[in-house]
Amino acid sequence: MAVFADLDLRVGSDLKALRGLVENAAHLGYSVVAINHVVEFKEKKQEIEKPVAVSELFTTLPIVQVSCTHLDVDLVCITVTEKLPFYFKRPPINVAIDRGVGFELVYSPAIKDSTMRRYTISNALNLMQVCKGKNIIISSAAERPLEIRGPYDVANLGLLFGLSENDAKAAVSTNCRAAILHGETRKTAFGIIATVKKPRSSEGDSDPPPACKKSKCED
Amino acid sequence: MVRFKHRYLLCELVSDDPRCRLSLEDRVLCGLVRDTIARVHGTFGAAACSVGFAVRYLNAYTGIVLLRCRKEFYQLLSSALPFITYLENKGHRYPCFLNTLHVGGTIRTCQKFLIQYNRRQLLILLQNCRNEGEREAIQKSVTRSCLLEESSGEEEHLDSGDEAAAEAME
Repeated sequence: MAVFADLDLRVGSDLKALRGLVENAAHLGYSVVAINHVVEFKEKKQEIEKPVAVSELFTTLPIVQVSCTHLDVDLVCITVTEKLPFYFKRPPINVAIDRGVGFELVYSPAIKDSTMRRYTISNALNLMQVCKGKNIIISSAAERPLEIRGPYDVANLGLLFGLSENDAKAAVSTNCRAAILHGETRKTAFGIIATVKKPRSSEGDSDPPPACKKSKCED
Repeated sequence: MVRFKHRYLLCELVSDDPRCRLSLEDRVLCGLVRDTIARVHGTFGAAACSVGFAVRYLNAYTGIVLLRCRKEFYQLLSSALPFITYLENKGHRYPCFLNTLHVGGTIRTCQKFLIQYNRRQLLILLQNCRNEGEREAIQKSVTRSCLLEESSGEEEHLDSGDEAAAEAME
């Protein structure tokens, strides 16, 4: 079975609530969970088992383009709770997919409120039409244990967002894993931003850059 | 072949409040699911899903629910289940949610899955139990389930194991 991950749990500073939330996620079948710390403008994520992955929240078009192409992030989290003032353009999104940056959709506003639900679904469908469902992650911005849904249910929500059944399952499992590994490679091999789905980094950190250069020369 | 094909959705009701599971009832759940589908998929969804819809199995102790729906429209039902946020019974509103465990084409496949799931849950409970009496009760259930695996009376195991586990939990 694939590894299921929920990459967005928003908690305040209450440790006990956090523990309850994580226990609930573990009981539902998630093996990896990322806790979101809201730090002013940028959001920094800390994961329990693996090193730091960075994601960024944006609301305006220029930031979209910049973050897709230049900024050193793993995940671009889309605020789905308002009508977005811009349309997603295809070129920067394609560049982002090539770079390995994932797009994150949050579903807990949809569970809470019906107007949010409408905006969530319309924004999600908008995004789907541009990126065709690649590199999408669905996660809950859950603050309480009752707002998390199990991985099977989240994959069904993906169907509502316009993903195909395969893509929806991937959105909960393989794409999340790809994002985490992307964060890991960023830490170990500086300057090389590769869309590596299964890198063999971790051991031999300093070796990858010179090794690549060597092999190029030999060819 | 003239046969209506169904999908059976096996779900577990998860809630903070222990009274929530005990107030689970056929009609309550039926109404709740229909309302939720109407909210999410509108008039068409509510009408399409209500054709073959039924609650086939309900266990108030463990909160396991088996829903039936027509094969053509089961995706409407399964995509509306995450939007259930509370259970209302006799004027009391309990916050809860439904966690889908398994989707099967027949009741038998769902039953097989449920037996394996219950076995795993018993083992997890065994790790977490706090006093000797509970531990003994759970160990007895586990050994009974292993013995019953060879014989054909697996259905009794389902219910009796659940009740023992539920008592141990509370």
